[in-house]
Amino acid sequence: MSVRKIGTMAAATACTLALIAGCGTTTSADKGSSGAPQQQPKCGGPNGKYKIGVSQANVAEPYRERMDEDIKKYAKKLLPQVTDVDVQDGQQNNAKQRDDVNNFITKKVDLLIISPNEAAPLTQAVKDAYNKGIPVIVLDRKVNGDQYTSFIGGDNKDIGKQAGQFVASKLLTSGGKVGEIRGLDGSTPAKERSDGFKEGIQGKKIDVVESQSGEWVRDKAQQKAEAMFKAHPDIQVMFAQGDPMAEGAYLAAQSAGLKNVKFVGIDGLPIPSGGIKAVEAGRLAATFVYPTGGKEAIEAAKKFLVDCKPVPKNQTLPTQQVTKENAAQVYTKLNQG
Amino acid sequence: MNAAKGLEEQLPGTRSNGATVIATIFKFQSLFGLVAVFILATILDPETFPRPDNLLDVVRASAENGILAVGMTMVILIGGIDLSVGSVLGMASVGISVLLAQSGFGMWPAIICVLGVGLVFGILQGIANARFKIQAFIVTLAGMQVARGIARIWSGGQGVSITYQSQGGPVSDAFAFIGGKTFGGTVPIPAIVFIVIAVLAALFLRFTTFSRHVYAIGGNEKAARLSGVPVLWTKILVFGICGLLAALAGIVHAGQLNNGDPNDGQTYELDAIAAVVIGGASLTGGRGGVLGTVAGALLVGVLRNILALRGVNSDLQLIIIGLVIVLTAGLQLLRPASMRA
Amino acid sequence: MLDTLSGAALALQKSITRSVGELMGNETDGGVPLVAMAGISKSYGGAQACVEVDFAIRAGQVHALLGENGAGKSTLMKVLSGDITDYTGTIHIGGEPRRFARPADAQHAGIAMIHQELDLVPALSVAENVYLGREPRTRLGTADFGAMVDGTAALLERTGIPIDPRRAVEQLRTGEQQLVIIAKALALDARVLIMDEPTSALSSHEVEQLFGVVSELRAAGVGIVYISHRMDEIGRIADVATVLRNGSVVKEFDVGSMTSEQASEAMVGRKVEALFTHESVAREAELLEVGELRLSRKRPVPGRRDPRGISLRVHAGEIVGLAGLLGAGRTELLQTLYGVGAKGRLHGRILLNGKEYRPSGVRNAMASGIAYVPEDRRIEGLSLDHSVTANSVLSTLSTIAWNGFLRGGSERDAAARMVERLGVKTASVRTAVGALSGGNQQKVVLGRNLVTEPKLLLLDEPTRGVDIGAKAEIYTLLTEAAKQGLGVLLASSELAELIGVCDRVVVLRDGVSVREMSTARLGEAELLAVSMGAASLDESRGEDG
Repeated sequence: MSVRKIGTMAAATACTLALIAGCGTTTSADKGSSGAPQQQPKCGGPNGKYKIGVSQANVAEPYRERMDEDIKKYAKKLLPQVTDVDVQDGQQNNAKQRDDVNNFITKKVDLLIISPNEAAPLTQAVKDAYNKGIPVIVLDRKVNGDQYTSFIGGDNKDIGKQAGQFVASKLLTSGGKVGEIRGLDGSTPAKERSDGFKEGIQGKKIDVVESQSGEWVRDKAQQKAEAMFKAHPDIQVMFAQGDPMAEGAYLAAQSAGLKNVKFVGIDGLPIPSGGIKAVEAGRLAATFVYPTGGKEAIEAAKKFLVDCKPVPKNQTLPTQQVTKENAAQVYTKLNQG
Repeated sequence: MNAAKGLEEQLPGTRSNGATVIATIFKFQSLFGLVAVFILATILDPETFPRPDNLLDVVRASAENGILAVGMTMVILIGGIDLSVGSVLGMASVGISVLLAQSGFGMWPAIICVLGVGLVFGILQGIANARFKIQAFIVTLAGMQVARGIARIWSGGQGVSITYQSQGGPVSDAFAFIGGKTFGGTVPIPAIVFIVIAVLAALFLRFTTFSRHVYAIGGNEKAARLSGVPVLWTKILVFGICGLLAALAGIVHAGQLNNGDPNDGQTYELDAIAAVVIGGASLTGGRGGVLGTVAGALLVGVLRNILALRGVNSDLQLIIIGLVIVLTAGLQLLRPASMRA
Repeated sequence: MLDTLSGAALALQKSITRSVGELMGNETDGGVPLVAMAGISKSYGGAQACVEVDFAIRAGQVHALLGENGAGKSTLMKVLSGDITDYTGTIHIGGEPRRFARPADAQHAGIAMIHQELDLVPALSVAENVYLGREPRTRLGTADFGAMVDGTAALLERTGIPIDPRRAVEQLRTGEQQLVIIAKALALDARVLIMDEPTSALSSHEVEQLFGVVSELRAAGVGIVYISHRMDEIGRIADVATVLRNGSVVKEFDVGSMTSEQASEAMVGRKVEALFTHESVAREAELLEVGELRLSRKRPVPGRRDPRGISLRVHAGEIVGLAGLLGAGRTELLQTLYGVGAKGRLHGRILLNGKEYRPSGVRNAMASGIAYVPEDRRIEGLSLDHSVTANSVLSTLSTIAWNGFLRGGSERDAAARMVERLGVKTASVRTAVGALSGGNQQKVVLGRNLVTEPKLLLLDEPTRGVDIGAKAEIYTLLTEAAKQGLGVLLASSELAELIGVCDRVVVLRDGVSVREMSTARLGEAELLAVSMGAASLDESRGEDG
């Protein structure tokens, strides 16, 4: 047999392998649309050993990185039965995150925690896992429908509203001009925070003179804020939907020589580069903690896997207002756990 | 054994009698690489990895990249590059979603319309490159921006979800077939689309005069022109085919996610180029083939799968896959001199 | 033949006064050689490229290295220049045993190889190229351009190279670029220069210039290895010659007592039949008539000599030569006729078979029965990575295909027929064409064109870089094709070729056909003189630009 033939054989084998392998399997197609999973998840009790899969939308964002860390930290602390926390990064790519979930299904993890990149594209993947009997805890962003075990997240609209009320009651008591830097256009939190903010300042003679998207990141926000300060040097308060964007806007004001502008952000991450420290240092007037839900997710997992009790379908996490007065205290508290 | 004929498409008929084992391995490096990674994965995870449902999922997960890479192979064979495929995929996924969910198109009219958009987009890039002599890199870099912009406008900047009539939405349930499975719910449709496209492209590159023109242009464009090869038309058509396949990948993408998002498909062009390079094609053109590319795409797919199954840290996965790309590209330098000519 | 040529050259170029005979006696036999290679062997896989070769280079001597392609010349020189390290045998440099680990070591030892491919940076000036990588610095640490220009000017002056050091290399002609490379080697204190086919891209005029420089170098005590296929050049420039065949030294000559026939015989290993076999046939019908052809362009491109008034005729069965210096517009004329010339308005008339023909592109030309073998097969003729099959059927795919689809094996059969017909020496039709010898590569290009069954064949330098055996075969092929009614227009810089192969020669100068001559009693010297007729004018114009 010549070398060529061997190559041919290898080619034929590789090309047809997947097809041949496909014969004889019977995986049921999912047609179910009811809330109950087709296979009931098992509860292993306190003596079980558990593998948890975490599908994170994008580790590159500090907020999500912190979420992963919280999950790992509290899993160690509260749920010693967990042998493995496997975190996979969706790289801000819906298809990649769907593949990650599929791999978790193949691996048969005992519980899936997912923070979806976007709702609609990941609904099917979450549904698949849920229907295979894997309990699914959805964090931060919801998926469509009701085929998951529990959703835990903050209320973006409420946070936006509280930020608006803070501006109206503390910073611009007699009305004034506000600039807004939004998150990525098309993302749900950006819209909700925007809507909530408007609600919070309603009827208080506060004027949003301009609103631009900073796409959640510092440098984009800085560019947009520079332009906004040029067009409206009389802006008194800058509301940014994320702390990094608020910091970017702060830098823009510094370079424009505007010393009296106040900045309000959202996220309040308890990390050295986070918003709480920025409030403590006086760069931001306030920020609002958007909880990662890592701790609550592990608590839910414990309830479900170890205590064999039902968990609430939806759990909304409260925010906390952080100003100079309580910044140090909140920082310590969030890092104690 | 039909694959036997497909093998020769790599380079129109170079050497056989004197072919050494080494030469064969280099020629089909990605195939041997795929087999090696496959065996390694089976050893590392004998329980989960070789399960048929997992293997089929690997093919499904590689489908979009694989389809893009088949088109990219043709462009790279003529010595070009197409950086726009990721954006065209995003544009097509948005397009099909909008047409189905908002404009009330039927499934086939919507698919044909979106494929047409991809084809025309590719042809326009081909004209800019071949007729107006703007470098492919630059033309498609611009095309990448333009397609992304069109996707944003077409979708209004928002993800457009596809909800089916059975769920109370506007979209015909027939389209759900693309994201589904067949043969009793075992074989994912995207995997089938991928394999069909790969086989068609391999046959096309083996048995048409057009393919000879493609290789000739990549091998030596001046010589091809002087030999009477219609260089202009061939190049334009190659870009058109690449755009068409990118649109097809976009339809598969939307079908799988039930959603068209204007930001989807970013950096997919780089994954496609990686698959082509791992497949042994030369970025200067004239050398490579669909078989190698498909094996390259599957190699990356198997690698991703086994790394995820073993719970390897996501950051480490990036490094490992990067190293594999450099390694396979570096292998080309070790090719025997006689094969480089 | 050699006598007439060197006689003509002496008359034309005074710088060659220090000619062959004078130098030979004084310098060849004295002292320790600059380089002594002994028992050099090197094999690739199973194939022996060099077998126990002894080779010495002496100061002030031009040593010709002869042999057909694949005889081991390049391998031997790669060993000397440090490119090949896994050889057996010894090398002594100035009496000291040396073994180079890399090309840089050889350069430090004063051995410089001038490659066929020119290693210059096109956008930089001559001076910058000469000093590339070791630029003199000013006190501020910046590159001292003044010093570079002065140094280069002095160097060029010393070697008699008339080039302005400030000009960008890309503006120079190929021949001038070659001289710059030599200057660069000398700037690195090269004591041994290896020149591989240095004249293959030069016009006759530039060849004279190069020879002038070589003579200067010889007088300055540099040892030169000169590789060439052109016997006439060897006779003029070299002192001694070594002939390699199948990796072994088969003969060593004193060039003074060597005849061209002896050398060819040693190279080929058998008696070479007369190189040129062409006999004029009776004139048949007129195939091509070009009358006052002129191309007007909006923007003239420097260095391109588009037709400015060319008239000629080619009859069926006739081989017509195009003579002229480099830059006379030979290539441009052939390109224009094939429809791939510069864009612009064509004036004058072209009649093909009595009907008017307007060149508009390759496919039109092919449909009209015109085929074209371009000047440089590696750049314009072949896809070197691809197989003999792929390269030989490219122009005729539509005739073997069925509605664009190819049956398995149909191409290979067609290629095999072509290989058979032209006697291409290749292991298989699937071998990469780049692995063939120059002569066989050229036959593939020629074959691809002949299978289109053209009526008119345009050839540009068809035997450049082709060894002597393959050359004779190509001439035979052309002659036979002509006998069957093919008309051939052949552009060449090789005077012997034009005179030996063609029925008539048309001389071009500055894009104008200045003279038409029958080759029956034409001597090379006369042809060269006519070609160079306006050489002095040409030169002064070149310096303006």
